[in-house]
Amino acid sequence: MTISLNHPIIKKSQSLIALFLLCLFISLLSDKFMTSTNLWNVLRQISVNVCISVGMTLVVLMAGIDLSVGSVLGLTAAICAGLLKSGLSFESMDLFVGFSVLGAILAAILIGMALGLFNGWVITKFSIPPFVATLAMLTIARGLTMLYTAGIPISNLGPEFEFIGSGWILGIPVPVWISLFMVLIVVFLTKKTTFGRYIYAIGGNEKAAFLSGISINKIKLAVYGIAGMMAAVGGILVTSRLNSAQPNAGMSYELDSIAAVVIGGTSLSGGVGTVAGTVIGAVIIGVLNNGLVLLDVSPFWQQVVKGIVILLAVIIDKMNQKNK
Amino acid sequence: MKKKYLYILAFVIIAILGYNSVYFKKLSDVKNANKENFDFKAYADSIYYKGILKSKKTIALTNLIASVKTNQDEAFKKYGNRLGIGNSAYFMIKSTGKIIDIKDGIYTIADEKNGVVYIDTKYIFGNALRDASGLVKLTDFKTNAQFNKVSESLNDIVRNEVVPKEIKKVKIGDSISFSGAIKLSKKQILFTDLLIIPSQIKLQ
Repeated sequence: MTISLNHPIIKKSQSLIALFLLCLFISLLSDKFMTSTNLWNVLRQISVNVCISVGMTLVVLMAGIDLSVGSVLGLTAAICAGLLKSGLSFESMDLFVGFSVLGAILAAILIGMALGLFNGWVITKFSIPPFVATLAMLTIARGLTMLYTAGIPISNLGPEFEFIGSGWILGIPVPVWISLFMVLIVVFLTKKTTFGRYIYAIGGNEKAAFLSGISINKIKLAVYGIAGMMAAVGGILVTSRLNSAQPNAGMSYELDSIAAVVIGGTSLSGGVGTVAGTVIGAVIIGVLNNGLVLLDVSPFWQQVVKGIVILLAVIIDKMNQKNK
Repeated sequence: MKKKYLYILAFVIIAILGYNSVYFKKLSDVKNANKENFDFKAYADSIYYKGILKSKKTIALTNLIASVKTNQDEAFKKYGNRLGIGNSAYFMIKSTGKIIDIKDGIYTIADEKNGVVYIDTKYIFGNALRDASGLVKLTDFKTNAQFNKVSESLNDIVRNEVVPKEIKKVKIGDSISFSGAIKLSKKQILFTDLLIIPSQIKLQ
């Protein structure tokens, strides 16, 4: 029995095959790649992108896009670090509100969600294309981050907070557990809830979804809110890993997350794709980044290679759509 | 009825999370507790006079260049200092040479063995001296601002106390010995046009 390249199993496993070939290729060229230290390091690194990308998957499944996730990550990371370090002071009331690690994390997640909801509100209320609305948020959030931090990193956030990014539980890095938890939540949402089915329906055909009674605006609001929340979780991971919030944290992370989503087989025109695919996409991006560094490829060439990989993924996606 | 229990449960969860998330204090008490009683000047004095001037890690520029050319990683590990990850590191170096030009506080030195180098006697800012010394750790300070204050104090000592006294005695054509901080990046190591933030300049 022969299996052609057009066989459904091959088509479904395109990303996984690509990942396998990539790992094989890099491990042949670098003996450091397949070491446990390096592989854990790769997983720790991709945890941030996984969190952002699963949020982005929901947005792209709905035929939307969120360019603001990187900036939202930066802003929520800075706020989380700022609250943890300096709390809130109210001079007129002679009141100081301090935040525990849990408090700072919750505040960051809520702010991330609020920023995402704002994106959704602008998109649904004013019928502004997601590209434009989230591009505006990208700039706003980046500016607010610079204002909040005055361009200076907020460091020394304490060992408890650092544990989130650098610690291990049962021999697995904490960020990997957190990203796994986030993935499971989003998988549950997409596979086991009507909310998830609505997202696919809106992405597949928004008009038909509307006519069948789905409250499109509410779903869009919720999805952008989740994307903002996931970006905030990514921000917490980045900050805790460095034990410092950098004013330029998350710069161009939106591109990596869109790349992960596209490479993972989610169609930019919406309605088709899986969270599992996105996770594989994020792993491919992470392995590619790691491999290029191990192979001592110049950072300039790394960008070129990553761009080509994204382009190839989109071309394959388009060809698949045509074949259908 | 079910909804009522759900609301109660949600309220309890929010209350527990809220209780464990924030705490309240009098702002004036917090301010008093945070008042700085750390003498940065004295700390920087001790780092400069007892640390930098007597540091055994200060390496002759010629030896550093040779060491980097032989084994870059080893040289960076042995002689370089850096705060975090990255390709750049600071080094404390020493050398000798003849002053061939002085412009806007920049002394151009024809280094006997290493070509032309520049010593900046005017714009002594940033963290070069602090980081090159390898004697000050970020974790020793509560805030980034305090950590940066060490740099400020260290730069003040060199800029206002050390360099003015020493450059008074030198002019174009004089031979000097000097030490100071330089920054090198593994990705692009250039030993031409080296700019040195001085820690000491001495007429020979």
